[in-house]
Amino acid sequence: MKGRKLLVDLCCAVVCTFVGASAFAQSETEFTKANQEYAEGHFKEAIDRYEALVRSGQWSANLFYDFGNAYFRTGDFGRAILNYERALTLERHHPEAAANLQIARDEARALEMQPSWSERYLQLASINQYSIAAAAAFWVAIFCIASLVFARRRSAAAIAFSTFSLLMAALSILAIYQLDTGSKGRALAIVTGKEVQARLATADTANSVLALPPGSEIKILSIRGDWIYAALPNNLRGWILAKDTEQVRL
Amino acid sequence: MHSLRIGLVFIALIAVLGTNTAFADSPSVTAVLNSSETVVGETVQLQIRLKGARGADAPERIAVDGLEIHRTGTSQHFEMNNFNVTSSVIYDYTILPVKSGTFTIPSQTIRVGNNSLRTPALTLQVAASPNGQTAQRRSGASSTAEANQLVFAELIVPKKSAFVGEMVPAQIRMGFDPRAHPQLIEPPEITGQGFTAQKLQQAGENLETINGRAYEVVTYKTAIAAARAGKFELGPVKAKVQVLTPRRPTSPRSRSPFDLFNLDDPFSDPFFSNPFGQLGERREVEINSEPVAFEVKPLPQNAPASFSGAIGNFTMTTEAKPKSVQVGDPITVTSTISGRGNFDRVNASAIEDEHGWHKYPPSSKFKQDDEVGISGAKTFEMVLSPNEKKQSIPPLAFSYFDPVKEQYVTLRSDPIAITVQGGGAAAPNAATAQAGSAPTPATAARPGSAVPATAKPQDILYQLTERPQVAQSFVPLYARPHFWIAQLIPLLALIGFAGWKVRQRGINNREARRIAALQHEAAELMRKLHRGDASPREYYAEASRVVRVKAALARNIDPNTVDVETAADTFRLDGDSRERLRRLFEQSDELQYSGAHNGSGKISPENRRDVLELIEDLHV
Repeated sequence: MKGRKLLVDLCCAVVCTFVGASAFAQSETEFTKANQEYAEGHFKEAIDRYEALVRSGQWSANLFYDFGNAYFRTGDFGRAILNYERALTLERHHPEAAANLQIARDEARALEMQPSWSERYLQLASINQYSIAAAAAFWVAIFCIASLVFARRRSAAAIAFSTFSLLMAALSILAIYQLDTGSKGRALAIVTGKEVQARLATADTANSVLALPPGSEIKILSIRGDWIYAALPNNLRGWILAKDTEQVRL
Repeated sequence: MHSLRIGLVFIALIAVLGTNTAFADSPSVTAVLNSSETVVGETVQLQIRLKGARGADAPERIAVDGLEIHRTGTSQHFEMNNFNVTSSVIYDYTILPVKSGTFTIPSQTIRVGNNSLRTPALTLQVAASPNGQTAQRRSGASSTAEANQLVFAELIVPKKSAFVGEMVPAQIRMGFDPRAHPQLIEPPEITGQGFTAQKLQQAGENLETINGRAYEVVTYKTAIAAARAGKFELGPVKAKVQVLTPRRPTSPRSRSPFDLFNLDDPFSDPFFSNPFGQLGERREVEINSEPVAFEVKPLPQNAPASFSGAIGNFTMTTEAKPKSVQVGDPITVTSTISGRGNFDRVNASAIEDEHGWHKYPPSSKFKQDDEVGISGAKTFEMVLSPNEKKQSIPPLAFSYFDPVKEQYVTLRSDPIAITVQGGGAAAPNAATAQAGSAPTPATAARPGSAVPATAKPQDILYQLTERPQVAQSFVPLYARPHFWIAQLIPLLALIGFAGWKVRQRGINNREARRIAALQHEAAELMRKLHRGDASPREYYAEASRVVRVKAALARNIDPNTVDVETAADTFRLDGDSRERLRRLFEQSDELQYSGAHNGSGKISPENRRDVLELIEDLHV
């Protein structure tokens, strides 16, 4: 009885592995086809194929980079910038995406959020790197403290090292919080609509706060129905129609 | 003495007056209408005058069908004629006819003390009114006419023809009679269609005499720009003002010093000579000026490409900073357009040859030299960034239409020499972006790109065909389940470490307790050996046990496993001591197992001393 169950489990695992591998191979084919469409100048078709790949969840920095290029070619700088931003979110050091993002921003005259001074310093590493650093420092500190507890003699060096490790863990957690909630954090969104105006109230007739060219960065603060309240470049705040923006992190 | 004489004269005068008054005529009453004819709705005043009495019971209202008669006031008059003082009381009634016809106001009984006096009956002819409100309207119109004499408005446009979009200065003069204490409720506004007007600016206030009447004249300045060609009228200027006008007199009044020529000056009312005499009333008056005919001509068709609608007369100056840059560095080009015209249509001058340049939207600042903003200087700051090596900034062009010459004029700046060095890293772009039509201009600082670029590329980079084997995720590492599962590894390691440490400590504690027990046993046995009250069997058994315990403590072993050789080796005994120790153990075994000397006999003091010396000398 037990042997039969083990056999069923093994079969399931094999099937799952096979299905996963075949899905990846299929998406790989789709990606190649999308690139071919792009190379032949069929940008609309390429966009459709990239879009399908994004919907399937097979995300990679290169996929978003290529997707951004396709939008750039069609003159949709807002979505091009959005996809370059996504590529850079997945891979901080993606030189091609960074270069094309700069060009697209210049073309669109997109406005950027000004990061705070703390964000500028903390951008030395990514949130994932800070997460690893925080975990490592935390465990080192805990092991140091444990050894101090069990030791017959408590050395000053061990106490200093555990304090330092705890401090590093705390700083790393603070950095994660700052980056995650900062101007380039999880609430970052890109204006994809054209002739978008941030307004003082949730009405099309309300006074305009700022005209936002496509590709401009905003930080979503809250959502009310079809409208989002966002922090804007130049330390402004205003209401924008939700359909005119897309969040960078999927 | 002199004052006493004046006092006596004054008392005599009062006495004479009192006598004359006391002996005045007997009371009499009369009644008069200020008009015996009227129309429905127009009031008539009735006065009942009582002479020779200081008060009487007069009716509050008089009942006549078709007339509403109410008492509206009482006044007392004194007249002196040849030291004969006569007092009279006048009762004022207002009669409002509500229908036409001939009415008789009946005789009224006035009681003065014990006497009853009767007024004569009066007849009033009331004519029908074509409209029930005519009379009131006439009264209102008359009042408005009077009020309109107190204020006036005038629109002055020096030019009678202009081009579409051309700014034409205009002036509005509003005059107020200062005695009317005017209060502006609605500011003046130029009505009409087909043109736009700048916000009115008050330019001055002075006192002028117009047609012999003093006016406080307030001047407003503005500028008008026509939106379409054709002939139309500017104005009239409309404003609303509240003025103080006197109440309408109910009887003919004397002319005031202001009304020398009987021009029906409303200020003839005694209110203005004595404001506390009776109250005036505040009235709202709408002021209208005469409209002004205006002709608007269309602009010629051959407008240059850089023409943005500016009409007037302008000059342009340009400058650039810095003059020496790297490729990609920003250069701020400042162009100032000054002169007279419609500055709201003055846009930044255009760069004639944009090839090799990256242009950012300009920002503008206007400094006006007059009240209405048709004269001044508009400064534009534009950031240019060379994409390649350049010798100079190309000319900037600005076009406008000159309405005097009736032709388009294009101003061109001279090329500004600059030095652009290629190959250097492009500086971070600092772009000043004009945010469309937004009220707040947006300035966005752009951080440098992560990619080092020798020059700003014109086109985006190539497609990438490689994909990682595993799909990437936007979820941060700390929010992924496997991150927390991975934390189990150090957690388990910590638990293992702690467990090991705890176990070690427990083991260490058992060993310590065992050693302590052995030490205690050794000490106890030594005390017994010193007492010397034990039997030989016990004595030697305890002595050998002490040796075993001491050796066990020294070697950290079980005392039961210690034999003579082990003990001798442990304490590194010489031959004699070793022999003595062997004899001690043999004697102990013999007494323990053979049964000889069991329970009887005593150990000699020499033997005991020998044993004690041997044991006490055992040291590691």
